[in-house]
Amino acid sequence: MKKSYDVVIIGGGIIGCSVAFELAKRGRKDVLVVEQEYLTSGATGRCGAGIRQQWGSMLNATLALESTHVFENLEEYTGYDGDCGLNQGGYLLIAYTEKEWEQFQKNLEIQHQVGINSHAVPLDCIKEIVPHINTDGIQGACFCASDGHADPFHCTYAYAKGAQGMGVEIVTYTKVTGLKVENGRIRGVATTRGDIEAKVVINATGGHAAQMAMLAGDELPIFPERHQILITEPVAHIMNPMVMSFHRHFYVQQTPHGSVIMGMGDPNEPVSLNTKASWQYLEHNAWVVTQTLPAFRNLRVVRQWAGHYDMSPDRNPIINEAKSAEGFITIAGFSGHGFMVAPRTAILVSNYLTGQQDSLDISRFSVERYKTGELLLEPSVV
Amino acid sequence: MKHIEVMVIGGGPAGLCAALAASSLGAKVLLVERDEIPGGQLVKQTHKFFGSEKQYAGDRGIHIGQMLLENVIAEQDIELWTDSTVLAIYEDGVVTVEHEGKHTKVKPDRLIIATGAAEKFLSFPGNDLPGVYGAGAVQTLMNVDGVKPAKRVLMVGAGNIGLIVSYQLKQAGVEIAAVIEGLPKIGGYLVHASKIQRAGIPVLTRHTILEAYGNGQVEGAIIASIDETWQPIPGTEQKIPCDAICLAVGLSPLTELAWQAGCAMAFVRELSGHVPVVDDLLESSRPGIYCAGDVSGIEEASAAMVEGRLAGLSAAFSLGYEANEAKALQQSAMEELAELRAGPMGQHIRDGINKVKLKRKIGNHAFENQTEKSGIVKDYSSDATNTCRAEIKTSLINDGIPTKEELDAIYPSDKRLTEGPIAIVECFQEIPCNPCVKACKRGAISMLRDINDVPVVDEELCNGCGLCISLCPGLAIFVVDKSYSGDMALIKLPFEYVPVPKSGHFVAGLDRAGRELGRFEVVRVTSGGDKNKTFTVSLAVPHDLVMEVRGIRIGEQAI
Amino acid sequence: MKNRDAEIMICRCEDVTRETILKCIAEGYQTLDEIKRVTRAGMGPCQGRTCRQLIAAELSRHYGMPMEEVMMTTFRPPVKPISLGALADAYEHERTGHKHEKIV
Repeated sequence: MKKSYDVVIIGGGIIGCSVAFELAKRGRKDVLVVEQEYLTSGATGRCGAGIRQQWGSMLNATLALESTHVFENLEEYTGYDGDCGLNQGGYLLIAYTEKEWEQFQKNLEIQHQVGINSHAVPLDCIKEIVPHINTDGIQGACFCASDGHADPFHCTYAYAKGAQGMGVEIVTYTKVTGLKVENGRIRGVATTRGDIEAKVVINATGGHAAQMAMLAGDELPIFPERHQILITEPVAHIMNPMVMSFHRHFYVQQTPHGSVIMGMGDPNEPVSLNTKASWQYLEHNAWVVTQTLPAFRNLRVVRQWAGHYDMSPDRNPIINEAKSAEGFITIAGFSGHGFMVAPRTAILVSNYLTGQQDSLDISRFSVERYKTGELLLEPSVV
Repeated sequence: MKHIEVMVIGGGPAGLCAALAASSLGAKVLLVERDEIPGGQLVKQTHKFFGSEKQYAGDRGIHIGQMLLENVIAEQDIELWTDSTVLAIYEDGVVTVEHEGKHTKVKPDRLIIATGAAEKFLSFPGNDLPGVYGAGAVQTLMNVDGVKPAKRVLMVGAGNIGLIVSYQLKQAGVEIAAVIEGLPKIGGYLVHASKIQRAGIPVLTRHTILEAYGNGQVEGAIIASIDETWQPIPGTEQKIPCDAICLAVGLSPLTELAWQAGCAMAFVRELSGHVPVVDDLLESSRPGIYCAGDVSGIEEASAAMVEGRLAGLSAAFSLGYEANEAKALQQSAMEELAELRAGPMGQHIRDGINKVKLKRKIGNHAFENQTEKSGIVKDYSSDATNTCRAEIKTSLINDGIPTKEELDAIYPSDKRLTEGPIAIVECFQEIPCNPCVKACKRGAISMLRDINDVPVVDEELCNGCGLCISLCPGLAIFVVDKSYSGDMALIKLPFEYVPVPKSGHFVAGLDRAGRELGRFEVVRVTSGGDKNKTFTVSLAVPHDLVMEVRGIRIGEQAI
Repeated sequence: MKNRDAEIMICRCEDVTRETILKCIAEGYQTLDEIKRVTRAGMGPCQGRTCRQLIAAELSRHYGMPMEEVMMTTFRPPVKPISLGALADAYEHERTGHKHEKIV
């Protein structure tokens, strides 16, 4: 570790590592990633790692579609010799209310506009996609065959190793304890292993992002919310797609390894950095999922855990350069879909930092939107 | 949600004693055991226990387990859930249990974690071949399920488990190719090693397993001598044909629940792994959560029982039950533990406990306050450290066979030998055990300071009645009678195999290494009784062999 | 001696050999947590009861760090697998006030 870098990235999750990779690819190689534990130890390593393109806003649909294209060749793209575990088994979104079903149909129009190959599934065809599903109460369903799931650890390590190959440095078990700001400009970070100067500091700390930004005097509406997941023992393959319901707040999917992974949101979950798992969640998720997939009753849970969503008011990412500290950029607030849009987000941010053109307007993600009211409203979030 | 005052996780020796102790003070207890039959390892321990009367020494583990279980069942204040597994301890203090197939929630006021230990595994090529077993699994197959696990076994590890399971395999009619041990000395009690040596089972220290071989299942192992750095010495490889390899390479505390509960943990080599840090009263860093038995450090079952009792008392006491009585009972339990750990075999436990204590004082202030509140300040473990004890330094520690010097030192005078029968106690190691002292109604066997001392026979008081033979858990007592006849002397030996010889039979007499010394007549066989189950066999042997014959063999089988 | 690491099983649940573990360490992974995520060792039904200590010992050996300093992984519930059905029934039981009726 040197005393000074061009760019310091705080956070070794998928965002931090993918930004490091894209920056290096664009020639900004004097980059240090600082991770307080090990890579993926925060939200990335705890997430469901679904990749969904069936979004309800143009921006998210575009981010997801273009990110999916990156995931499809991530090993080659980063020069990684491992397997990122991409499995495009599709996403089956099921609507349990009329209103939800109407929204789905509107979403399909948006998805088709950006070129996503999603489609509505007639009720009597749902079982062709997921044979074990209980269709009681289902008002409608949509499917996108190229949605899927990847291995969050290997994807992150692919970016990290790719970045390292180009000269990026990564330090783990090192905590950023302070930010150095002078005359309205970021100058560096203080860490548990000494101070480091930097021209640009990127805050990719997920649920910790608001706390981190405060150290630079930047107040951001990002707050951590606990979400929980469980995984079963592996069994023979019985379900290809991810099945997801917004109304019932759950998603469930069988991984290529055979385990079934599922999670659900709790609308009453308080804001906190608590990452302890609860028995209430365990029972509730089991109940909700087995209502829709009764065949899963005999599957046995081997593990449960919790992580954070980094929530923003409109449940969409905030990419924001601090007014109080020029050069300090926060990339957070992904509200539960950071993993699946990380590849394209990293490209967007890196294009911005290297002065290159991008088809997306990065300023749409700034916190200014909460003042101007130009929110990035997304109707379809678990 | 079920509410209970004291919840005990694990129905092994520690858990059973914890439940009994807590209920004895008046607390309402829920005892949760994952197996159908509580008892933990006791259910398969067919050997006699060491320790003192207070820990039921001299009784077989299986009987102790049955007795504790009967007491638990008879106690109205203990609710017993068997076939029920604790799944998790959550941050809100809720403990979830799979009970009668249901996901059941329990909210205890106090929790005692007595989950015991799991067997350690070893890495060597072929370690996943069918036929590579944990010694505990083999013991379960034999002693619980009645299945003979193999024809010929290589035992890896000469700690107590390796030695005891080898003996039990032998009793079940299984051949033991050898017991190998990586350390330069036998880790288990030497009386166990002596017992298997005279049955013809070699104990090889400074040996390791290089690989298991076989096509689809174990057909043998390659072992070799190792040097001081644990590296195999080229040229010492030996092929050992066998159909099972038994790993008795130690236990690790089963601490998942303590980790989950957020108890402060520390890696303590002497306690065999990560253990929850506990205070004198066995309370962990999380107030209200106690840990007892192997989960907080691997020891003998006798210590686990006392720890269980102490944790049960502490939990009930902290709920306000029987304050005065409880303190005295806690005190005596702590004294028992100190005594059990006072010998050289308890050195590592004392060291381990001291280490953790030190760590706790630096690291966890809230916990220290908790200890202060209990009002007990005496540090028993350091008392024990001050006691100076002798460790065995001769070849006895390597092979379990006493040297001539060691034997000469304990033999009675020639004069006394010619006068009539007298007990010879071939017990050289300071282990916590004293049933022999209690066994002798004439008070001829004594110990100097405490139960860790080696017993001494008073040659004037001993009349050679032989009662002690079947009561010694180590099968280390023999009676020699040189006055038997002009030609022959009598040797009385303990015997725990089948078939039992009858008077008039001629059997092979074996020396301390299991070598045949000749065929001799059995002149008498007495039974130790239905519960004791150890027979005493009297053999007429020539005078010059009476100090050599220490085992017998019927037919080809060395026993 | 011939390298036999591929024949040494470390994680029996997920079939992870010593060769895989050592390769990981050689690639620079430093902690049990990372190795668990990259290889799945310890993610099976026994949740690392057997392999955790063996991998910790490899880390200790490779980095010359005492076992005391090898960081353990998080111990996640449950310690024994439990069926979704049993969990769902417990929820149903509480939700319906001890009645067992199925509500969709």
